[in-house]
Amino acid sequence: MALKLDPRTKLFMIFIVSAVVMMSATTPLLWAVRITMTMIPILLLIAEKHYAAALRFIVLYSAALLISFKFLSENSKGFLSAFLVGYCSIIVQFMPAVITAWYVVRTTKIGEFVSAMQKMHVPDGITISLAVVMRFFPTIKEEYSSIRDAMKMRGIMFGGGNVTDVVEYRMIPLLFSCVNIGDELSAAAVTRGLGGKVKRTSVQELKMGGADYMLILMFTAALVFFVVFKYMK
Amino acid sequence: MDNNKLGAKDFITIGIFTALLFVVEFACGILGFIHPYIVASYVIMIPIVGSVPMMLFYTKIEKFGMLSIMSVLLAIIMFVTGMGYLGAPLIIAAGVIADLIAKSGGYKSFKKTVLSHGVFCLWICANYFPVIVTADSYRKNLVDGGYSTEYCDNLFRAINSKTIAVLLILCFIFGIIGAFIGKAVVKKHFEKAGIV
Repeated sequence: MALKLDPRTKLFMIFIVSAVVMMSATTPLLWAVRITMTMIPILLLIAEKHYAAALRFIVLYSAALLISFKFLSENSKGFLSAFLVGYCSIIVQFMPAVITAWYVVRTTKIGEFVSAMQKMHVPDGITISLAVVMRFFPTIKEEYSSIRDAMKMRGIMFGGGNVTDVVEYRMIPLLFSCVNIGDELSAAAVTRGLGGKVKRTSVQELKMGGADYMLILMFTAALVFFVVFKYMK
Repeated sequence: MDNNKLGAKDFITIGIFTALLFVVEFACGILGFIHPYIVASYVIMIPIVGSVPMMLFYTKIEKFGMLSIMSVLLAIIMFVTGMGYLGAPLIIAAGVIADLIAKSGGYKSFKKTVLSHGVFCLWICANYFPVIVTADSYRKNLVDGGYSTEYCDNLFRAINSKTIAVLLILCFIFGIIGAFIGKAVVKKHFEKAGIV
């Protein structure tokens, strides 16, 4: 089953999840809301056939949950346990936002994203730049790993040598390739009429479906529920 | 392009450099897990490491608005990654002011660029805003959320409403130092290669 969500729904989800992530859960009930909210993007990932990513997120998230819950009650003294608990709770804290953001970035085509932003009347400058940012993270990762391979071949490793060398050897080639890719990207984009005077049309037809409204409703309800039970009691 | 409006090429440049800057910030941010004092030292690390892409970015700026848009993007990314919206006004204000300073130098004067980078680096302090503005509830949140009290004590000793002034000044100073380093690196690598 291919569940196609409107990019606007996805943006709304990011918005809600980031808002909830900032308020920490204090009671079991709130934890339940939070965990449910985290599960939705994971389920959506499964629906979009990103099984490996979904599994990775589930394992990481539940491991972090388990560790932080189990040791939270005990007095965590000492460097290692403080470190571990701190680390896990950061994962628990920010993982929902990370999963949602990852899901949105992975499953939204740039074309869809741009036309959704246009429909919401966001200025062109922000839309295009943001679309490039989204598109660019995987590219940076790819470029970085090939640079790392090249460094390995020359025997330049992390840890050895001084810090500035390590930073310099990695950053400069990365910047070089990013600048070049950027030039190519803008040539390609201008060829396709980006930045022209006329209003662009889009191949992607955007329509809010039943699933969209349901998810928006669910996330709004979750947010309201969370705020009410955290602050009104 | 002779007019003053930003074109598609400019937007793409902004996007690329914002992504690079965020990667730098993220890499430094991970180090903050180790010890809270490292969180305070972001003001030193990020301006210096981030200065290389920033100075390269400055060489590409010709029109007003590029730095401002970048700061808006940074604010959006910070919100999405769960840093909150409290810092957004500071980020955008720093971006616009830095933009105005650089504009007054015609985006060519090195002195103005240095100053502008110093101001732009103030956005890093926005990371600390949730800690300061909502100190008490934030602390409670952290402890309830499972951070060890030790971590919190250290964090709040390093960052509070008294030290924020120092942190802001440090940001600015290291932004300026970073600008010189970044300029040197850009000169060493990119100008020789003819990229700029």
